[in-house]
Amino acid sequence: MRAASTQMGRFLNYRVAGWGTLLIVLGILPWFGISSNLTRLLFTALVWIIASVAWNLLGGVTGQVSFGFAVFYGLGAYAAAMGINGGLHPLAAFTISGLVAALASIFIGLPTFRLRGPYFAIATIGVSEAVRVVMTNLSFTGGASGYRIAEHGRFRPLEHYYTALGFSAVAVVISAWIHESKFGLSLQAVREDEEAAADIGVNPLKAKLMVHLLAATLTGIAGGVYARYAAYIHPQGVFGFHTSVAILLMPIIGGAGTVAGPVIGGFVYGLVQEELVAAFPQFHLLLYGALLIVIILFEPRGVTGWLGRLRGFIERIWRKSATASVG
Amino acid sequence: MPPLLSVERLTKYFAGLAALKDVSFEVEEGQICGLIGPNGAGKTTLFSIIAGSVSPSSGTITYSGKDVTRWKSFQAVRAGVARTHQITRPFRSMTTRQNVEIGLHFGRGPASGSTWGEVAEILEGVGLGRVADRPAASLCVGDQKRLELARTLAAKPKLLLCDEVCSGLTETEMNEVLDLLRRIRGRGTTILYVEHNMRAIMSTCDQVVVLNFGEKLTEGPPLKIQNDPAVIEAYLGKTAAD
Repeated sequence: MRAASTQMGRFLNYRVAGWGTLLIVLGILPWFGISSNLTRLLFTALVWIIASVAWNLLGGVTGQVSFGFAVFYGLGAYAAAMGINGGLHPLAAFTISGLVAALASIFIGLPTFRLRGPYFAIATIGVSEAVRVVMTNLSFTGGASGYRIAEHGRFRPLEHYYTALGFSAVAVVISAWIHESKFGLSLQAVREDEEAAADIGVNPLKAKLMVHLLAATLTGIAGGVYARYAAYIHPQGVFGFHTSVAILLMPIIGGAGTVAGPVIGGFVYGLVQEELVAAFPQFHLLLYGALLIVIILFEPRGVTGWLGRLRGFIERIWRKSATASVG
Repeated sequence: MPPLLSVERLTKYFAGLAALKDVSFEVEEGQICGLIGPNGAGKTTLFSIIAGSVSPSSGTITYSGKDVTRWKSFQAVRAGVARTHQITRPFRSMTTRQNVEIGLHFGRGPASGSTWGEVAEILEGVGLGRVADRPAASLCVGDQKRLELARTLAAKPKLLLCDEVCSGLTETEMNEVLDLLRRIRGRGTTILYVEHNMRAIMSTCDQVVVLNFGEKLTEGPPLKIQNDPAVIEAYLGKTAAD
């Protein structure tokens, strides 16, 4: 038993060391004179990572596939934009982004969580589209023509970069904690079999509402961080269906239900997406569709699954060569 | 002393069809009460209603002096009523240990902050220690049955609802499970036990309730039930009873 717990401790230390290294590398990278374009791409990837990690908590860990995360992203974006225009400190504005999205998650979750599987997914598409239409026609937010953020002072890309880095680190810590916690166990149980979970004392509706709220808060903050950077937002963008799909795609590419997967997916998507859009303006969505089918058919654990297989493969070769050299 | 569980005039319609009609019975604290009846008699429906996963059309259920007719299953578990499933429903991608941990955390709660020892004890108690870290999906039928029971026991029920824990088991495995049920009762847990296997019922139960076509046919100690012509008729048909 003691051996098992120290083994667990060593495993945790390796992981903390890995994540810490990544954080430090990303933290000092801008000091090495990387191009402003790379800084921008990394900023975008980090914002996507926040949303990707958030979606994974509901979609990957709890198994509730939502196509409606653009609602939280968009509400967060508009809330931050209006807050900043109203003279709030950006961090206060992001807090409001999180709160507004959290509130929305309850209103959306209460009716839709009574539905299961594909029916839940379809309902979230409906909600998301309804919100987009409303926002397109709402006059005090500028309707379809969008909303502009007038922030005083010079534009400092690094400030935005570190804000995104900070919030994505927070998102990863929350995700790692959930994967180890009692709360996380109940979420996995709901994913595996909702009724059986209820039969040993888990309240499935409460578990789903809580994780939805947490995911929405993080996604709202991501929207807020993006809006402040972009300085201009419009409903077809932040509330667009493609935003919902992007947020769902990243964790699935990376590996749903894991801590590292959504981060890997966010990096891949954030760094590659723009090139893809530039190279195949019409076809890039088709590529994602094809990628999604390949992943779901052959490796539901995404990139983390491939990495796991690769590691197994290398370990086998290693062992074989070790025994060969002994023999 | 009032009974731990009392079911009064419980009725359940599924789309106009009566699955249960006016069923009443009581379970005393510390008993193993068997619930038998031919296929379609309403045993599992009755079970699901008591466990809170289905709500009845009419009638009342009193548990420990409280009216709990329309409680939800997670509320039932926290109050001390937990069920197993006839067809096992493990959380497949999670390990055996994690399956049990959930029951421990979300049922009536672990004995102390650290759950490691308690989970290990429960797993050893049902004979699953050797597969504790395997994914539940990889367990054989017998072990899945044990896991179903272990996970439910981890919730520390005062009233355990066992749904056919012996089906699909070999003779030896069945005897082990029956021994386990007796030990559980020995620790003060009341058991309501649905079973098809007559020998299992006769060798463990203090009291047996017989259902037929959604109605209570009779009840009594196992020996009396075994020789009751109405029960034999329900199971084997009229001529066999003659």
